[in-house]
Amino acid sequence: MENLTYSLVQIVHNFGAAGVVGGSVFALWPVPQAPSTLRRLAWLVMFSWTAQIVSGIGFGLTSLYFYGLLPDIHGTAVIALGIKIAAAVTGLVIISLYLGRLGAWTDVQRMRLWSVTASLAVIALTAAAVLRWYS
Amino acid sequence: MKVTLRFTVALLAFGWGAAIAAEPSVTISAPEDGATLDVMEQNQIAYSVTPGPKGDHVHVYVDDAEVDILRSLEGSYTLPSLEPGQRNLCIKVVNRAHVPIGVEDCVNVTVE
Repeated sequence: MENLTYSLVQIVHNFGAAGVVGGSVFALWPVPQAPSTLRRLAWLVMFSWTAQIVSGIGFGLTSLYFYGLLPDIHGTAVIALGIKIAAAVTGLVIISLYLGRLGAWTDVQRMRLWSVTASLAVIALTAAAVLRWYS
Repeated sequence: MKVTLRFTVALLAFGWGAAIAAEPSVTISAPEDGATLDVMEQNQIAYSVTPGPKGDHVHVYVDDAEVDILRSLEGSYTLPSLEPGQRNLCIKVVNRAHVPIGVEDCVNVTVE
């Protein structure tokens, strides 16, 4: 049951990571997408950031449920986790603002916003790798 | 039929043996409990671990603060500089999510 729970949380987390990176990068590359496609991608990225945050909390809750303890991490791993959380929360806020004011952005602003979102996704994924091996 | 029976017995015996082999444990072989360590030395902790089915690797603790991760299940680890006084050294088995699963060994030492 424990392994199954961790696995289910991990599945959500992995697909969340795939969604934020894939959705953000595809918005810009190989060609900048049309506004209607960007809107759909923004929903995907918002859903994916939410999945990342919720499943991240899920890892902690799973550990609390089965062992009454949170994961024991220290040093570099704590910094990597902090970066990952900051990137996820910032990414979620930015993409929510984007969706909330869809008509308000110029093309330049829109591309800048997607560049920031893609950068945050890459930062979060990189921090995840550091967190994995320094803890 | 005989082959099937032999196979079943062998499978059960293997499963029973594997279950025994998988009994999780941690043994700190050095320093001994109550030992005195030299504050100027690079002190090491020697250990061997059987992680069991739920364990994955181990963490090292000094006075309940995690100081490092050990992925080798047997060997020795050079401890960071220890402050003089009574110190509690522990090695705990953790799962893949880095949560201590309750399998550990600890020693109390005096650092002078």
